[in-house]
Amino acid sequence: MAIRANPKLIEELELYGAQDVSKCYHCGNCSATCPFSKEPYILPRRSMRSLQMGLEDKLLGDLEPWLCYYCGECSQECPRDAEPGETMMSLRRWLTARYDFTGIAGLFYRSWRAEVIAVLVVAMLTGIGFLLWGFSQGNIDQYDGPNAFLPSGQVHLFDWVMAAVLIVLLGTNCIRMWWFTVGRDKDARVSFGAYVRKLYQLPYSFLTQARYAQCERKRPWLLHLVLMLSYLTMLVLIMFFLGEMAAGPEVDWRVHVFGLLATAGLLTTTILAMRGRLRKTEPLYRYSHETDWMFLILLAVVASTGLLQFVLHRSGLDVAANIAYVVHLMGVVPMLVLEVPFSKWAHLAYRPLAIYLADVKAEALVAEKQAAAPAPLAPAA
Amino acid sequence: MDDMKIGVYVCNCGTNIAKVVDCDAVAEAASALPGVAVARSYKYMCSNPGQEMIVSDIAEQGLDRIVVAACSPRMHEPTFRKALQQAGVNPYYVEMANIREQCSWVHDDAPAATDKAKALMRAAVLRVARHDALERRSVDMDPATLVIGGGIAGMTAALDLADAGSQVYLVEQSDHLGGNVARVDLTAPYLDSARDMLTERLTRVVEHPRISVVLEGEVEEVAGFVGNFTARIVGRDEERRPVETTVGVGNVIVATGYKEFDARRITHYGYGKLPNVITSFELEKMLRAGRVETKEGKPPQYVAIIHCVGSRNPEFNSYCSRVCCMTALKYAHEIKSAVQGVYVSDIYVDMHAFGKGHEDFYRRTSEVKTLFLMYDKGDSPVVRRADPGDDCGMLIEVNEKLSGETIEIPADLVVLMVGMEARDDSERVAHLVNISRDKDGWFIESHPKLDPVATTTDGVFIAGACQAPKDIPDSVAQARAAAGRILARISRGRLEIDAMYAEVDEDKCSGCRVCNDLCPYVAIEFDEEKKKSHVISALCKSCGACVAACPSSAITALHFTDAQIFAEIEGVLL
Repeated sequence: MAIRANPKLIEELELYGAQDVSKCYHCGNCSATCPFSKEPYILPRRSMRSLQMGLEDKLLGDLEPWLCYYCGECSQECPRDAEPGETMMSLRRWLTARYDFTGIAGLFYRSWRAEVIAVLVVAMLTGIGFLLWGFSQGNIDQYDGPNAFLPSGQVHLFDWVMAAVLIVLLGTNCIRMWWFTVGRDKDARVSFGAYVRKLYQLPYSFLTQARYAQCERKRPWLLHLVLMLSYLTMLVLIMFFLGEMAAGPEVDWRVHVFGLLATAGLLTTTILAMRGRLRKTEPLYRYSHETDWMFLILLAVVASTGLLQFVLHRSGLDVAANIAYVVHLMGVVPMLVLEVPFSKWAHLAYRPLAIYLADVKAEALVAEKQAAAPAPLAPAA
Repeated sequence: MDDMKIGVYVCNCGTNIAKVVDCDAVAEAASALPGVAVARSYKYMCSNPGQEMIVSDIAEQGLDRIVVAACSPRMHEPTFRKALQQAGVNPYYVEMANIREQCSWVHDDAPAATDKAKALMRAAVLRVARHDALERRSVDMDPATLVIGGGIAGMTAALDLADAGSQVYLVEQSDHLGGNVARVDLTAPYLDSARDMLTERLTRVVEHPRISVVLEGEVEEVAGFVGNFTARIVGRDEERRPVETTVGVGNVIVATGYKEFDARRITHYGYGKLPNVITSFELEKMLRAGRVETKEGKPPQYVAIIHCVGSRNPEFNSYCSRVCCMTALKYAHEIKSAVQGVYVSDIYVDMHAFGKGHEDFYRRTSEVKTLFLMYDKGDSPVVRRADPGDDCGMLIEVNEKLSGETIEIPADLVVLMVGMEARDDSERVAHLVNISRDKDGWFIESHPKLDPVATTTDGVFIAGACQAPKDIPDSVAQARAAAGRILARISRGRLEIDAMYAEVDEDKCSGCRVCNDLCPYVAIEFDEEKKKSHVISALCKSCGACVAACPSSAITALHFTDAQIFAEIEGVLL
């Protein structure tokens, strides 16, 4: 069956940051140099080719873009400057948009104005909402205890509701991803047992980023690991220890220590990343899409206002601390409600899932091929 | 032979010969032969002292025949002939024995090689004793030139010749000059205008006082030989009546060009059935008119270009037509300029970007977002009509090699890059001037590497696509090369002919004419009055075919007489 080629697809991908894909003349240097390019996943050339020809459905089912960590070696080797690294990045953005059933992700990626407006609107609504609520039932000069402006017990509840919405949205999109990449592929029928057996890969790759460490240069992996673990630490603290964090000096020192370490980690890595993007110090920093900046800026705002609250509260400036808290929430809510399901953050789910699915699918493909191959000739008697 | 004084010189050639052959022993063996007055072994005979040694030996010892046992005569026979001339001896009184390429370089067994060298030396000594004094001759060289074909190659050659002061007769079959280049809009890779290129050339040709242009003309006959051809040309007068002229020329340049492959022969491209499948030349017409449209008069949204139509395929023509790859890239650029927002796909086998600026042109074409699709030579794409609801007119199924997928690419217009073929009248032209054609009908050059514009018929040159598919720069280069060769000959005024040729003894000739058709150089004519064959020495290359074939043994090859050859055999067997 012939697959219909669509020369118009490249134009769509340009909105997601793809450039110079047409220059590729398939010498294969990029795939030769990529440490992750091994059958059955040939990257980045196969995806470049599917994109050039506009094989949309095939690209939708591709796991290759998620197997890439943008070390940039491929772009450096490319004799035509076809930017395979940036193409893979743009494919990750495009896939993020396509996995999302709402269409909001696509809107955000294609129009930075839409994203900025959405974030600002949600931030404004959050700010106004929390201020009104705070004034209605608390004192602005009380950070914690009874009459706290924003009592942690109820904020906590709000956090869990947000988390539930976010998990539903992201979860649905993950199921769609599974369907596109493995579920509907008749050449790769995976048994339930295989899914279970390899399930350990999800938490393992999520927590250690072990595959990323296989890249030749370790600095990007380290930076990302610190960023991710800091974020995870803060998430755990907020979801399970919000009360302890808001409390004053009598709080368990471990909570504060972890919080401060995590904040330091977040601030350092985001600042380093922003600096890197401005100075283009790494191959992956050469091109920045608006979503890349939104990610870093929101993270920096949230981390710094989090720290600010802590410092102000400990200094006894509770009014300022509460204001910082409101600003903090004005960053957190858009981040969790918009950015995580609909923008760059979504990769926290898609990438570990892709690694897990790639392993499971590869096994299934090999098994199918062996089953289809003729039996070897019997040796002569 | 006893009254001869033969000098034998055995060259050591450094260690090339001396390492295997005992040169002193060979020289000693030579001195024992009757008639040998001097026998020396020397390091480098071709060097100045070596040559001077021969000259002084001739002067002091009165030597009259020389044998040099050394390298191949192809290397140094002219050297030693000149030495003899310097010494006042007929240059054909020297014979070389090849004891290097045919002895020391191919044997390890030193004693056996030395014996062989002695045998070769003996053969040369016995032969040289039977050499005759031969004289080089010369014939007239008519400075006028006939150029057959008024395309870019023909016009360029004519201008070079006429600018240098010679008369040129330029005969063109159609009613206009310019050939196939006149059908082209822009040229690859710099997208220059072909029309500008031609206009300059055309104007100068038409206005040149020394170029006589005959349009709608045919060359009916070319008789004679190099330097002395007679050509009969049939043209038309103002009332379109045929008018015949006969001109004398010294040389002929054939620049008849090519024709394009008939795309109807490949049915799965749909040419001739699907209205929007066109050839490259049909696209050129559209481009020259400034409008690229489908037959329905609409601008195409998708255009596909298919390479290697009729080329590189054993079913049609196995060769590559050379120009189409870059021309296809040119079309990608031109179509994108002519049609806003068009999607161009280029369906190719290999990208032959062999020339100057070609790789850069290829890169620039992909930078403007041309989609390149690769197919396998034996597995060509298939063009079919799309369904009525589809957003394109046709779909092309390609087994795409770079992805390994079978894909369907949309196309509203399909451009077939038809290959080059030899013209239908190339056989007639070949017979006219006595040149040969290869299995594909292209005219054959004298040597594929070292002599691309001359032919085996002296005085007839070929230039441009009629020799093989090529682009404008190469056609022009060949045209100027042919003109240059002719000018070099004209500048000498007379043409020197080698002293070695075949001669017919008229007393022995029976008039059977077996030799006439045997001669590959068409150098034997038949005298109807005398009823005898006669060798045109100017054309004879001394191949010996006629000598061997003559049933009456009436033909002798000068410098290769039976006596000389038998003497050689005797020397080896002694």
